Amino acid sequence: MGLFDRLTGLLGLKKKEVNVLVIGLNNSGKSTVINHFKREDDRCIDIVPTVGFNVEKFAFKNVGFTAFDMSGHDRYRSLWEHYYKDCQGIIFIIDSSDKLRLVVAKEELDMLLQHPDVAGRKIPILFLANKMDLPDSLTTVKLASGLGLDRIQNKPWHIRATNAVTGEGLQPAIEWLTDQIRDIYINKR
Amino acid sequence: MNAFKRDKKEEEDGGGNPFQNMEKTTVLQEARTFNDTPVNPRKCAHILTKILYLINQGEQLGTTEATEAFFAMTKLFQSRDVVLRRLVYLGIKELSSVAEDVIIVTSSLTKDMTGKEDLYRAAAIRALCTITDGGMLAAIERYMKQAIVDKSPAVSSAALVSSLHLTSVSGDVARRWANEAQEALNSDNVMVQYHALGVLYQARKSDKHAVTKLVSKLTRTSLKSPYAACMLIRMACKLLDEDEGAGELYEFVESCLRHKSEMVVYEAAHALVNLGRSGSRELASPISVLQLFCGSPKPALRFAAVRTLNKMAMSHPAAVTACNLDLENLITDSNRSIATLAITTLLKTGAESSVDRLMKQIATFVSEISDEFKVVVVQAIRALCQKFPRKHAVLMNFLSAMLRDEGGLEYKAAIADTIIAVMEGNTEAKEAGLAHLCEFIEDCEHTSLAVRILHLLGQEGPTSKQPSRYIRFIYNRVILESASVRAAAVTALAHFAASCPPLLPNVLVLLSRCQLDSDDEVRDRAAYYCAILQQQNDPTLLPLIQPPLLSIPSLEGALRNYIRSSMDQPFDISQVPPAQTVEEPTQTEILSNIKQQPRLTREESFMEKLSQIPQLATVTRDCPLFKSSAVCELTESETEYNVKCVKHSFANHLILQFDCLNTLTDQLLEDVRVTVEPPEGYTLIGEIPCPRLAYNEPGTTYIVLEYPKDIQASVATIPTTLRFTARDCDPATGIPDAEQGYDDEYMLEDLEVTLADQMRGSAGRGLDFSAAWDAAAARGFSELEETFALGASVTTLEAAVRSLIGFLGLGAAELSDRVPSGTVGHTLLLGGVFRGGKQVLARARLALADEQVTMQLSVRSPDPDVAELITSSVG
Repeated sequence: MGLFDRLTGLLGLKKKEVNVLVIGLNNSGKSTVINHFKREDDRCIDIVPTVGFNVEKFAFKNVGFTAFDMSGHDRYRSLWEHYYKDCQGIIFIIDSSDKLRLVVAKEELDMLLQHPDVAGRKIPILFLANKMDLPDSLTTVKLASGLGLDRIQNKPWHIRATNAVTGEGLQPAIEWLTDQIRDIYINKR
Repeated sequence: MNAFKRDKKEEEDGGGNPFQNMEKTTVLQEARTFNDTPVNPRKCAHILTKILYLINQGEQLGTTEATEAFFAMTKLFQSRDVVLRRLVYLGIKELSSVAEDVIIVTSSLTKDMTGKEDLYRAAAIRALCTITDGGMLAAIERYMKQAIVDKSPAVSSAALVSSLHLTSVSGDVARRWANEAQEALNSDNVMVQYHALGVLYQARKSDKHAVTKLVSKLTRTSLKSPYAACMLIRMACKLLDEDEGAGELYEFVESCLRHKSEMVVYEAAHALVNLGRSGSRELASPISVLQLFCGSPKPALRFAAVRTLNKMAMSHPAAVTACNLDLENLITDSNRSIATLAITTLLKTGAESSVDRLMKQIATFVSEISDEFKVVVVQAIRALCQKFPRKHAVLMNFLSAMLRDEGGLEYKAAIADTIIAVMEGNTEAKEAGLAHLCEFIEDCEHTSLAVRILHLLGQEGPTSKQPSRYIRFIYNRVILESASVRAAAVTALAHFAASCPPLLPNVLVLLSRCQLDSDDEVRDRAAYYCAILQQQNDPTLLPLIQPPLLSIPSLEGALRNYIRSSMDQPFDISQVPPAQTVEEPTQTEILSNIKQQPRLTREESFMEKLSQIPQLATVTRDCPLFKSSAVCELTESETEYNVKCVKHSFANHLILQFDCLNTLTDQLLEDVRVTVEPPEGYTLIGEIPCPRLAYNEPGTTYIVLEYPKDIQASVATIPTTLRFTARDCDPATGIPDAEQGYDDEYMLEDLEVTLADQMRGSAGRGLDFSAAWDAAAARGFSELEETFALGASVTTLEAAVRSLIGFLGLGAAELSDRVPSGTVGHTLLLGGVFRGGKQVLARARLALADEQVTMQLSVRSPDPDVAELITSSVG
């Protein structure tokens, strides 16, 4: 690191770079959420089911995010674990109107939490209860109990109802994640 | 100062390859750097280059290693560095075949290929198509179609070529994207137009009519791209070969000779001379074009022209003669390849008088050209030897000089082949040829070649004027070479001893020395030959020195059967079919020395198939398959049902194998049988019907017959009928509609059981016919002799020999099937085994007078009936 870099780093002026992993079942709105975080002119108009993963970049409050937007299709869920190791935050997106597959989401969450690359680490997890606008969507309280979020002891977590199409609720959610990451990774150093 | 100097020198010649001495494991370890955040593009690019280098050096990655490296690599997508990203694409392509779950990068690649960064797009398309499988194809189809018609030529080209590659994943890709390709065909870019034509052709490839339409449409519009024009010429020629739209297409190809691009002109000329039917008039214009190219300042054009002329000199030497003057100018060309081709072309077309001059010219630089071209020279010499037998001395000397030079196995083998071929074609050259080969094996590093030459010496040496001179060369090998060469040398020595009695005592001394060899095989052989040779002279000795090549699986089966029997009779080796000799590709083709899979002979593979059928076990268990006939068709090829028959002869049984094919889409056949009326003397043992014969699925049914006791009756004609229960069915699904089928029958052509079906030729080079013939008389064989006048259809001796061998099914001994041209009399020596292991020897004296061949045929066989059958069936 050059002298200048170190100086700006000390003064907190330099943009911090972090990796976040965006996961959740298929059709829960992962790519749409990420699309919303991007700058106005970078956004794409139509979102198609992701095959594999996409890397997207956006910045918030002087933190540069590199989001690994993973595919939620059951065929590719097993590939998530390749990216657990080097992420500093996880965004777990749930389709709050999909009551039927809530158990599937819980199962995936449990597998994530038990994974050796995740289990012992203090990684902030942001749960987004997406599609809150739909009439039969579950409340965050119900979702939290349904997913058994109260069992998560060693990681900060937060759940928030959102609507990725309009962007409602996303701003405070990402704000929480940014603060957490700043606390855990950046200020510590 | 000194150290500094050395450093500098090292830098100059040693600094070439920074990637030398890399360890796979270390590099893969380094690849973990890819996981770091933030990504360091320069460092990662270097590591990725190392991985790519290793893979391209042939290093194999295991699945786990590759997958790990691949997933680490996917993290590099977060970097925006252009160089790194393009390296990632290369990495994806290389690892896509080894790593698992490569599909993970699909979305990332589709994003890149539709993105704004032009540098990414084409490469991303190529990478995407290598990771796409049949299931994913639909997901990327929309993007691919857009990319094909993209306004950037690089993107469009990449998409077109990728879709060609994708046809191996899904056959109809080209057809589905043909509309887009059609649009791309109008592109101004030369490459896009070419690639689009490729895709359009791929889409229509299987439909000849559509290809014809495409070609005739395009020949009228002129294609801007020379590459596309070349391709169009090739397509047109393919059609011309199949005789489609002849006149118009031919005119088009000819008009291309006046195209403004040299590439197209050459392609057209090349195509015209290679169109099989070209007469000398049609060849004139393409040849004049090639002649023009011979004088071109561009080496590539000169090379192309002279190479085409060289090929052509084989088929149309007269036409090429027109260019002789231009070719003369090229023999001193600074490009050695051009010079070699020019000389060899001249050798093919030139007169006998110019041979010496040309050989001298070529000798000046033969050491400077690559092996591949040396082989071309050797082949030219071989052709020359056939053309001018009188020149063999000059050519032989030249060959031996070449043999002494450095060269690879392929090159040396080509020379040895040529010398052997010259020796075979020209008896005068034999002594000289053997001497050259002897000299060669003195210093030959190729084991396989040395073994071959030793074998040849053993075959040919004993009949030369002075056999003793070869002994020294052969024994030298025993002292100096590796085990397999020593073993071959021992066998060769034994050959000399067996054929030249005067040499026997000396060779026995040498062989007894070989019994002390360190290698098992050499010792075994020496002991075996010593034992046989010490039993003194016997004309039947030679076959023991060179045991016939038997088919090992059949021998094993026969021996097993013998052990099970009471063993009161001696084992009859003539029951065992010989191993298949692999015909060497002669003439232009270079013998490839790739190890061939041990192939089963035809009989062995049939036997395996037959022995798996339980109903046939009674026949196949006791007795090995004696001979399987060639396939004979019992129907015309275009009929509703196709039936082919193979006749399998056993000692006392005949199994008829009928391969049936149903060509009607709307019929399902059940219980398919071929019924035969057993001719007199034959007994029907059983039949095995084919339960079900669906459209276009081959089925097989069998008939088992017992041969008549009277051998005379075994040659017969068997009328055959195909019987089956037909059920109508839906052509699309193949599921039968009607509940009940109806019985039907279909007349087939008559099946002939001939003499050749029951006879196996077993002669070849090894058999000493006169010794065997005399021994036969001594062993009490019965002899029959008769004289025939052969029919009007046989007008030459060659034809008589060919038809006699085909008819009797015997094998020619001592190369007596080669009739020297211009002679009026010939003796054909034949040997073979009749089913049941009865040996047959036959001698046919042929005489030609007024296009009428007369034959005196003598047959010797232990069984008088067999001898009679042979003479009676000829008449």
